[in-house]
Amino acid sequence: MKTNQEDLIRYKDGNLYCELADVWIDPSKPVKRALITHAHFDHFTFGCEEYLSTIETAILLKERVGDNIEIKTFDYGEEFKINGINISFHPSGHILGSSQISFIFAEEKWLISGDFKLQKDETCKKYEIVKTDYLISECTFGLPIFKWDETNKVANNISKWIINSPEKTSLLFCYSLGKAQRLLNEISQTDFKGNIYSHNSIYKMNNCYKELGIDIKDTIKIENKNKMDELKGSLILLPPSLSKGSYLKNFKNIQTAFASGWMSIRALRKRSGYDKGFAISDHADWDGILEVVKKSEAKNVFFHHGDSEALSKYLVSKESINVLSFGK
Amino acid sequence: MSLKKFAELFSDLDSINSTNNKIEVLRNYFISNEPIDNSWAIYLLTGKSNKRFISGRYLKNLFSQIYEYPQWLIDTCYLKVGDSAEVITLLLKNKTSSRNKKLSNISLNELLSKTIPELSILNEEEKNLKIKNIWETLPEDNHLIFNKILTGTFRIGVSIGLITKSISKLINIDEEIISHRLMGYFKPSVDSYEFLINKNINLEELNSKPFPFLLANTFEDKIFKHSINDFQFEWKYDGIRIQLIKRSGNISLWTRGQELVNESFPELVEKMSLIKDDFVLDGELLVWNFKKKIAFDFSFLQKRLNRKSPTKSIQIKYPIIFIAYDLLEVNGRDIREIKLENRRIKLEKYYSKWQNKTENNITDIFRICDLIYPKDWSDALTLKEKSRENNTEGLIIKKKTSIYSSGRKKGIWWKYKVDPMQLDAVLIYAKGGSGRRAGLYTDYSFALWKDQELIKFASAYSGLTNIEIKELDKWIRKNTIEKFGPVRSLKPEMVFEISFEKIQISKRHKSGIAVRFPRITKWRKDKKINDADNLENAYKLMKKIS
Repeated sequence: MKTNQEDLIRYKDGNLYCELADVWIDPSKPVKRALITHAHFDHFTFGCEEYLSTIETAILLKERVGDNIEIKTFDYGEEFKINGINISFHPSGHILGSSQISFIFAEEKWLISGDFKLQKDETCKKYEIVKTDYLISECTFGLPIFKWDETNKVANNISKWIINSPEKTSLLFCYSLGKAQRLLNEISQTDFKGNIYSHNSIYKMNNCYKELGIDIKDTIKIENKNKMDELKGSLILLPPSLSKGSYLKNFKNIQTAFASGWMSIRALRKRSGYDKGFAISDHADWDGILEVVKKSEAKNVFFHHGDSEALSKYLVSKESINVLSFGK
Repeated sequence: MSLKKFAELFSDLDSINSTNNKIEVLRNYFISNEPIDNSWAIYLLTGKSNKRFISGRYLKNLFSQIYEYPQWLIDTCYLKVGDSAEVITLLLKNKTSSRNKKLSNISLNELLSKTIPELSILNEEEKNLKIKNIWETLPEDNHLIFNKILTGTFRIGVSIGLITKSISKLINIDEEIISHRLMGYFKPSVDSYEFLINKNINLEELNSKPFPFLLANTFEDKIFKHSINDFQFEWKYDGIRIQLIKRSGNISLWTRGQELVNESFPELVEKMSLIKDDFVLDGELLVWNFKKKIAFDFSFLQKRLNRKSPTKSIQIKYPIIFIAYDLLEVNGRDIREIKLENRRIKLEKYYSKWQNKTENNITDIFRICDLIYPKDWSDALTLKEKSRENNTEGLIIKKKTSIYSSGRKKGIWWKYKVDPMQLDAVLIYAKGGSGRRAGLYTDYSFALWKDQELIKFASAYSGLTNIEIKELDKWIRKNTIEKFGPVRSLKPEMVFEISFEKIQISKRHKSGIAVRFPRITKWRKDKKINDADNLENAYKLMKKIS
């Protein structure tokens, strides 16, 4: 079923938009007022007149893009009003500061899940179940083949991977913000006790997390290493953008791995060009999405971010949930 | 020891790119496991087991039935994963708990020699129950291996050469010996493993086995620097490579894929048995056009290949011939270390002896290959270009002083193939790939013009780089006209140069032609669809050859 113009939140120019409040959610182009769910770059664009987010998201964003942006911040659960619409941020468990956004107008509740996960992550607040009438959920991993292993199992596999190649330098590629800190937190609880280095982009985010009171294991900035030999048997965290091109020539005798939910599929693992893939994600897996849909008690659900065909069909036929699509 | 260890080996080998590391991992595995499990491991890794106990479709249906899972959802997942065994493995993660794992220490031997083969004697209901039971009591990390063995799709990026090397390192014996020991049938057992790693070399034990094949490399320009007299030239036949062995009076026909095909070609076995000497010949099996004195197309040979005990009429309709180009052993003496030119002399000598001494005429089914003698390299080039006239694929060039070693050794044999035929065609359909290419549109269909219409003429999936594949995949998703299951029909816009080896009339295809080994050789972004070839051009190519 398609939605219509009267919906509180709809798709406009490829972005989520609430007309009554005149706010955009994670807009990809400059607008007047932008609600930001979290500090990943694909959810942020320069040039908006006003940004609204959680405090943590604001601090992380400023660290990444500089101080000269205007951000209004709110605590989780703190309600504020725009044009008579009650809006509030709630933890989404994706990364530090990440949030779902709730909209209430005339007794009708809307919830935008933002990017979310239910799995254990000690570096951010746990996903909060928020009841709603309408749910707009991400579905990056909306197929039942995605079923995440326990976080500590993956961390132990990473630890084993490093320890079993003491002669090598292990390069683990992961997103600088969120994934890197979560991995550091988990790896510090495994058998691997060697040195951990991180690329400047990750190092900066680690510090930010620490300032916000998150306990993150100390790493050495890779730019500060003294000689090649000291890297043997140690772990280096790097952003995925450095995996292609000449950057790897800086190292000798390496093994590489990528930490991403997509690595659970062998074909993608092989195609990725990394030696090894660790399937760990900051997004919900199939069961996670289903759980959120059910617990939110939403009567109507929309999906965005990802291929939602199968998930929608499943919910409609198996769970009798009304799945709507945005009229684009 | 256990399936668990083998699953770890699989995962290690799957994630290591360096050859040396792979050899090391294999060596360690062999050292630390029981001979019987090593034997099974080798059996699996060398791809000698392709027996399919149940089909991928059956596996998916079974899962759907046991766990009341919608079939369409499994099919959607399959498009992303590209492998039935893996899809079910991933879906099982939602269904099996980690509690009751009584099979966690099952040995590879028990699984492969007992548990799985026993499935075939059960009725369907019992079989399904048994598989469910195995799924639920086998540790999650072993599901993939189990499902892959079950569906006969166990494959891994480890070559036989690599296995050979690691065994050879393990016991410090020449690779050639190990390679020979690994040839032919390999029945996993303690004995077969002990035989493989036996430090004493006993040539008679190798009696039942073919020699490792010597393979040709692609022609390199640097050969032009050498004198043409250093080389022996032969036509490159387009049949199947066969090692024809007669030892202690028994004939065996081994393909390069190490399959015994005696039953498909009984007339050859019968005729060759008449020869008094024992021998090992290396050569090509073809379906022969006796009138024109050239080989028929490979498609004729296919009519014989998968058929056991062919009737007399089939034998007459598709008459085969074995053309020998090398002699490797005579009356028990291995002569592979003799120079090629001398082996050739022996081959000719023995052939003429057999011709004269054998009561029955053998020449209608067994010949030795003619040599060709180009005057110089430019003459060789001219000959190569003419190879289509006698239905060969080009030339094989062999160094006269070379010995017959195993594998694709450099500097011994070269294949100098005739340039492919080419047409520019329009991409009209795309289909999702499987295996490594799962989740991407990588199987393409191309069309040529006929009047104002585009007619499909070939499908191809190789030739593009990974970057091009991704780029094209994106384009395909944006330019789909219609979806039919996994297939999308596309806006005619992209032109590709398609190369192929053969072209022939085919009544089965709408275009009326069929091409062999079509592949993409260029993405012609410079061309518009109106620049693509029409079917007329394809017919012209056909005329040029015949």
